[in-house]
Amino acid sequence: MNAKKARLAEIVGPDHVIDDPGIGESFTLDRTVRPAKRPSFKVRPKTVEQVREIVLWANETLTPLVPVSSGAPHLRGDTLPSVPEAVIVDLAGMKRILKIDRRNRLALLEPGVTYSQLQPELQKEGLRVIMPLLPRANKSVIASLLEREPPMSPRYQWNLLEPLRSLEIVWGNGDRFYSGSGTFRGEREEDWQQGLVPVQGPGPGQLDFYKFVSAAQGSMGIVTWASVKCEVHPEFRKLFLVPGERLADLIDFTYRLLRFRFGDELFLVNDACLAYILAQDEDKAVSLRNSLPPWTAVVGITGGQVLPREKVQARQQDIQELAQQSGLTLASALRGCHEGELQALLLNASAEPYWKLRYKGGAQEIFFLSTLDRAAGYVATMQAAAGEQQYPISDIGIYVQPVHQGVGCHCEFILPFDRGSQAESVRTEALFRDASHRLFGQKAFFSRPYGIWADMVYGADERTKMVTQKVKDIFDPNHLLNPGKLCF
Amino acid sequence: MALPKEVYKALKDIVGSENISDDPALLDSYRYSLAHTAIHLGPYYDTFTPRGAAVLLPGSTGEVQAIVRLCNEHKIKFKASSTFWSAQGYPSEDDTIQLDMRRMDRILEIDERNMFAVVEPGVIGATLQAEAMKVGLNTHIAGSGCSCSVLAGATSYFGSGPSNLYGGWHYENLLGAEWVMPTGDLFRIGSLGSGCGWFCGEGPGPSMRGIARGFLGAKGAMGVFTKCAIKLFAWPGPESLPVEGTVPAYRVSLPDNFRAYTVAFPSWKAWADAAYLIWDTGIGYLAHRQFNMFGRELKYAMVKILTDPSKTLGDLEELLEDPEVQRVTEASKRDFQIVLAGMTPRDLAWQERAFDEILARTAGWKVEAMNQPDVADWSLLYLLRLGHKNLNLVFGGSYDGCFGLLGTADYGTTHVEESGQLKKEWEEQGAVVQAGGDCTMGPIGGQGGGGTCLWENFTCFDPYERESVEGTRALFDAATKLGLARGWGVGMEKWNAQCRGPDGRTTPKEERDRIHLSAPQPSVFRYQHKIRRAFNPNDLGDAYYETLDDEAD
Amino acid sequence: MPLEDFAAEMDRCSQCSYCKWIPFDQVRSWRFAKNCPSVSYYNFNSYSARGRYAVARSLIRGQSGYSDTVRDIVFTCMTCGSCDVSCKVCRYNLEPLEMVRELKFRLVEDGQGLEAHRAIIQSLDREQNTMQRPRSGRGDWADGLDVRRLASEKGKVLFHAGCRLSYDEDLQQSARAAVDLFRKAGVDVGIMGEQEMCCGGRIYAMGYREEFARFARANMAAWARAGVETIVTSCADGYHAFKRLYPQLGSGVQVLHTVEFLARLIQEKKIVFRLEVPMTVTYHDPCHLGRQGEPYVPWDGVEKKIKGQIVVYEPERPRYNGAWGVYDPPREILRSIPGVELVEMERIREYSWCCGAGGGVREAYPEYSQWTAGERISEAIATGAEALVTACPWCERNFQDAAGTMGEPMQVYDLVELVQKAV
Repeated sequence: MNAKKARLAEIVGPDHVIDDPGIGESFTLDRTVRPAKRPSFKVRPKTVEQVREIVLWANETLTPLVPVSSGAPHLRGDTLPSVPEAVIVDLAGMKRILKIDRRNRLALLEPGVTYSQLQPELQKEGLRVIMPLLPRANKSVIASLLEREPPMSPRYQWNLLEPLRSLEIVWGNGDRFYSGSGTFRGEREEDWQQGLVPVQGPGPGQLDFYKFVSAAQGSMGIVTWASVKCEVHPEFRKLFLVPGERLADLIDFTYRLLRFRFGDELFLVNDACLAYILAQDEDKAVSLRNSLPPWTAVVGITGGQVLPREKVQARQQDIQELAQQSGLTLASALRGCHEGELQALLLNASAEPYWKLRYKGGAQEIFFLSTLDRAAGYVATMQAAAGEQQYPISDIGIYVQPVHQGVGCHCEFILPFDRGSQAESVRTEALFRDASHRLFGQKAFFSRPYGIWADMVYGADERTKMVTQKVKDIFDPNHLLNPGKLCF
Repeated sequence: MALPKEVYKALKDIVGSENISDDPALLDSYRYSLAHTAIHLGPYYDTFTPRGAAVLLPGSTGEVQAIVRLCNEHKIKFKASSTFWSAQGYPSEDDTIQLDMRRMDRILEIDERNMFAVVEPGVIGATLQAEAMKVGLNTHIAGSGCSCSVLAGATSYFGSGPSNLYGGWHYENLLGAEWVMPTGDLFRIGSLGSGCGWFCGEGPGPSMRGIARGFLGAKGAMGVFTKCAIKLFAWPGPESLPVEGTVPAYRVSLPDNFRAYTVAFPSWKAWADAAYLIWDTGIGYLAHRQFNMFGRELKYAMVKILTDPSKTLGDLEELLEDPEVQRVTEASKRDFQIVLAGMTPRDLAWQERAFDEILARTAGWKVEAMNQPDVADWSLLYLLRLGHKNLNLVFGGSYDGCFGLLGTADYGTTHVEESGQLKKEWEEQGAVVQAGGDCTMGPIGGQGGGGTCLWENFTCFDPYERESVEGTRALFDAATKLGLARGWGVGMEKWNAQCRGPDGRTTPKEERDRIHLSAPQPSVFRYQHKIRRAFNPNDLGDAYYETLDDEAD
Repeated sequence: MPLEDFAAEMDRCSQCSYCKWIPFDQVRSWRFAKNCPSVSYYNFNSYSARGRYAVARSLIRGQSGYSDTVRDIVFTCMTCGSCDVSCKVCRYNLEPLEMVRELKFRLVEDGQGLEAHRAIIQSLDREQNTMQRPRSGRGDWADGLDVRRLASEKGKVLFHAGCRLSYDEDLQQSARAAVDLFRKAGVDVGIMGEQEMCCGGRIYAMGYREEFARFARANMAAWARAGVETIVTSCADGYHAFKRLYPQLGSGVQVLHTVEFLARLIQEKKIVFRLEVPMTVTYHDPCHLGRQGEPYVPWDGVEKKIKGQIVVYEPERPRYNGAWGVYDPPREILRSIPGVELVEMERIREYSWCCGAGGGVREAYPEYSQWTAGERISEAIATGAEALVTACPWCERNFQDAAGTMGEPMQVYDLVELVQKAV
């Protein structure tokens, strides 16, 4: 046993050090566009003390670490080591739900806790957490929030990190730190009893520490617990589908809902995207795609706590009127999609295989932030680029998710491709590169710059790059956490 | 010490001779009394912040950059302020150059559909709100009131206020920002840096907005913010406020989709239950315990004065003898104000029913005297515009908050009586206004959607009377002692004591280190030190940006 | 009261900057939210009421001395009183307007007055007008008017034309019109003609308290000799001097502004409109008629504290905050003229923007004075009005000059002119 392994085994126990764990199967182009390096080990810590010891050891030995919380398949390449002989720090085993506080609507989670695990526990307490669109069943809640994955319900998103609140962080220098409420350690029951609960996200103090670990791809620190703000579990819930021939037809309606914060879940999908969500296999996806309307706005209405039924009724009538004013109709079923079926899907994590991979086994995502009024322009650009690269336009799944209560929106293009086909891979890669640059040129903000996007955005914004690097130097002075990512 | 002539000339060349002065009398109008308002460190009688070396009125980001670069070249400290609310906006070191940002006061854009505005530092809450209302939008106004800079609240201070609940606090509302860093380099934060517009303050990648501000901002000690985008929210009212009434009893009668209620509860537990239910149910446009700032025993009498233009403070004692005033005062002991705004008639109807249900479940009641049309219309205008902040000082000319219990509704309500009782005992000694001990006020929802409250116990005194100022400080010392004994921590009465001392200048390093080392997590200040060293290498701000260096232990 | 007696206020000023804005409840736009011309133009804090409190404190404590900057800070105040209104939306124990007046007095007493003002005072001593024109021409405006001269006759009602209307040939038609209207309405009004003297109001606002008192006493003596019981004037400065300042020196005559008198005559049907004046107009509230036009209430009391530290007064002190100024009579008149449509500007009544002519600013800082008037012209234009109507010749003069400089076609009228057009 080499010395490294021996020391790691000392920290986490021999059963939790895995030799030569490999890189894993790739379902996207990430390894094509950015070759990965094989890691030496994977370790599975169980406690924050172990995480801290691993990080301190890494600093002593200058060993790169790649933190991972969610299970495979990883789609964005951020968990693939960019340097050789890294150690994967697999946090999936830290899956305790430390606390659910109904009154303050907070849950305290370890990083391995998944949506599938969390939601039933919350429901027992009359709570829920707002979800991104169909996360993988093994997706870490904390990882999703740290990645600033957009939730389906923009109305609860007071800032882009919501519903993430206080964190326990082990920085790259090995320092254990509490962000947000800070002084309230969160894991101490006596604090909760006294009303000292980790409800704050920002701070403490004049820095916003949790911002530094957000969208950092594990390159700043390792989060070992987080408090997450929850919503009341609705007693009544309805889902409506609003079909449109063109995306532009639905934009005005969506703006109206956002203005009033009507609607719980609220997003727009094209026929292909909705088909990939609904279909369990390739054939079904194709037939659904052909039957669904070109665009659909999905609008959820929920009512909980006080007079829920009355709320749902009032909202439904108001939303109906707003739809009429935009020349649209609320439907509970479209050809190929019933609201009950879709609602059941949306309230849970994705079934296997992961929905983006069902059509062709592989999929490349392009996503960014912008404002809703620009979304139709991006769709046109994407389709034009696809046409030029001879990528089938009808395959492109498009998901437009308003964020931050409507100030912006997440635009996502899903490019399915057959991983077994060299030609499809090459064609998709060409489209991915070309479209990314063209969209960026049209003010698409690649706020979560995975892979080649990092070069694109940091190349265009030297100041942000310089600032980010200086901050990295403070929290991970030896650049051991996930080196090679972002601008590090 | 005067600035070297060549430096003054260089600064004059940057801003123009009409926008710079080092006249001593003019400089004295840029000093702040430490016997005054919301400074959270004293109060100290007849003490002022140091006189600046010069005051400049920059007119553009380029000018600000040039000034800051010159300051770096000559190692001269500088401090910018937009609207100069409280001592935090004033230098704590001698020979500091003061930047008064009021000339940069444009609203550059209101993006109606995407609901945000882009503003310069001199834009205040009142003007942004007025412009936003024209397009059916509203802006959150921080607790410092609508006279204060929107940008300052969002980037540099706290930014919390009565409309947190629906409008979000300015921490949450800050989008893209333009920041002249302490070196003079320009940092465009978020989507702005990528050339993609103002709509997003986070990223790319790890959000560097985190060095611009955390829970609090850098209070002018780390460069100058020159523009920022602020998230707005729906205003379901008219394009401008149809204000009526005789000064100062202005009031607004809005369409039927607005309600302004004062409600009260039989116990603090019931009060907290109501807050939680409001948050869980998702109702309310604005919620604040507002008028209790006058004091549990004085608030309704004060409302009577403020809503009657023929009355003055001289009528207070007589009003307090009025049995009706006494009855309402007693009935509104544990109260708060809430504004409901319906985006549609159905929305209002549902909110009203839900609110009534919440009151029924918590045995709360509407304080009818406060809900009479004229008073409710006055209250509505007060809360929406927050243009009466100066009433904080109505009694003797000064106030400051003590205790400042920040946390969940349960946290504050558990301790409000004990903290109020301590204050009441001190009130009886005569140094501060006798108002009933509980002068606690603050938002019902310290952040968007609720979840927290901030309980600031207003203490009013006379800055002109030494005994009043020193008696207030003695009360604040006692408040701190109680807070520490009870585990509440140091109250807001001392929040800035580590930054500025009794002489108006920076607290000695040893004292600052002692305070920071006794914090629950001193590493916060060590990281702030590292950030300061990285981005402010010539150390050109004051100690309002709090640091702890590696040597301190 | 001596400047030193404002020391408590200097400390109690909350440095909140409310004095820089109209009452916040009334803000309707970014463009027209400011109230104080001097801080709006010069921008430094010291040019606002809060800044002047601080400057005054600095001076009385000997922390700073007189300088050109200090003189500018003090004498660019138009004493328009808008800061006073805004401050008192929340405060009951500060008097910023009184303090800045006292500051002006102090500078003048210390020989720090402005040269431009000194020239006026010197001329005033000689010619008894602030226009630096010969005394002998003071009554020319009334040539041909069939009206009693109260310098030599007795009469109960005196129309006081004031310096501006007496000498400004472009404007004095409105004085003639006023007298004519009163006469036709059956009012037995007289004038002092060539013997009329300056009211002293404008020099008071420049800081010349003693000179003001001299003129006030001379005027009061002249009125007594003529048996005057009621003074009517079309000049807002004069109105303020007679209404608020003279009583402090013992005057007991009734004081009416022309618009008050006209409104009463119209209501009593003694003036009847026969012609239509098809015009959209907006009305400018002169500072000294509006927010400073509240009646004087004698008070001789002291400060006391209740509830430990609440500052009140024994007996209760009158509160001048613009609540009871003369706002409605001019509007009632305009609304009663056939064809006239009144549209309001954003800053009206107690929070009206100043015309820029007050406080000796027109005489000493002409560029800034014109900028101030120009701001008001812009505000009037924003209403869509064809004409800006006011009730003070100083406002009218400043607006006409500014409109001319700006090349704006905005017509400027004294309200009396519109009344005359309609009868």
